[in-house]
Amino acid sequence: MKPVVDGLKKEYEGKVEFKLYNVEKDAEGANLANQLGAQFVPTFEFVNADGSINKEIVGEVSEAQLRQQLDALK
Amino acid sequence: MHLLKRDQLRGLRIVGIAAALFAVVAMLGLAGCSSSLPAAGNVQNKAAKTLEDKGVRIIDVRTTSEFEAGHIPEAENVPLDQLSAAMGSWDKTEPILVYCATGSRSVEAMQILVSAGFTTVYNLQNGIVAWDGDVTSGPGGTVVGSLAPSASGLPVLYEFYTDW
Repeated sequence: MKPVVDGLKKEYEGKVEFKLYNVEKDAEGANLANQLGAQFVPTFEFVNADGSINKEIVGEVSEAQLRQQLDALK
Repeated sequence: MHLLKRDQLRGLRIVGIAAALFAVVAMLGLAGCSSSLPAAGNVQNKAAKTLEDKGVRIIDVRTTSEFEAGHIPEAENVPLDQLSAAMGSWDKTEPILVYCATGSRSVEAMQILVSAGFTTVYNLQNGIVAWDGDVTSGPGGTVVGSLAPSASGLPVLYEFYTDW
């Protein structure tokens, strides 16, 4: 998953901010996951610029799905 | 990559809810099968409402943003490009009603399902634009919270992961 996300991160630079948290090691990430109700890993949260959550995907996700949700962000 | 529980107790609660929901959906499905249904294929609003009333599974094959703007209340959103992957775990004998905006993508969805061996597939012929039944908006339970706007002013993708 990591190479796909890293590739997309470069591609969407300036359009979508990528924040990746290892919830086992990163307390801020774990708190954020709790705040968003993300109970499983991996979880992807697609958040619009206004802070509203556009989509949550739990579990494995294809690059096409990631692109679709990234393109849908406002 | 495996899906892991962050919090086992909360996770188990979710599994319990999912099992209960599955039981309800299964009962609805059986109720639908036990009564007579319209002939499979293209259907108009009236027949589609009969299917809706009987608890037939309804699949909206439009994009997520189209779905969120307004959909038939009981519908599940499976965008057309994700249908082939999603349908692998579905019961092929369970009746399914597909729809999209105007009935074009859903015809394709119906063909995909029928080719894959699904026995009873319905297509809402003119899509949701011609639908005169109930419509609901919103993301259908996928939103679990919200955050303050990002400092960068950009949308944000958060990924929560572990090294496991």
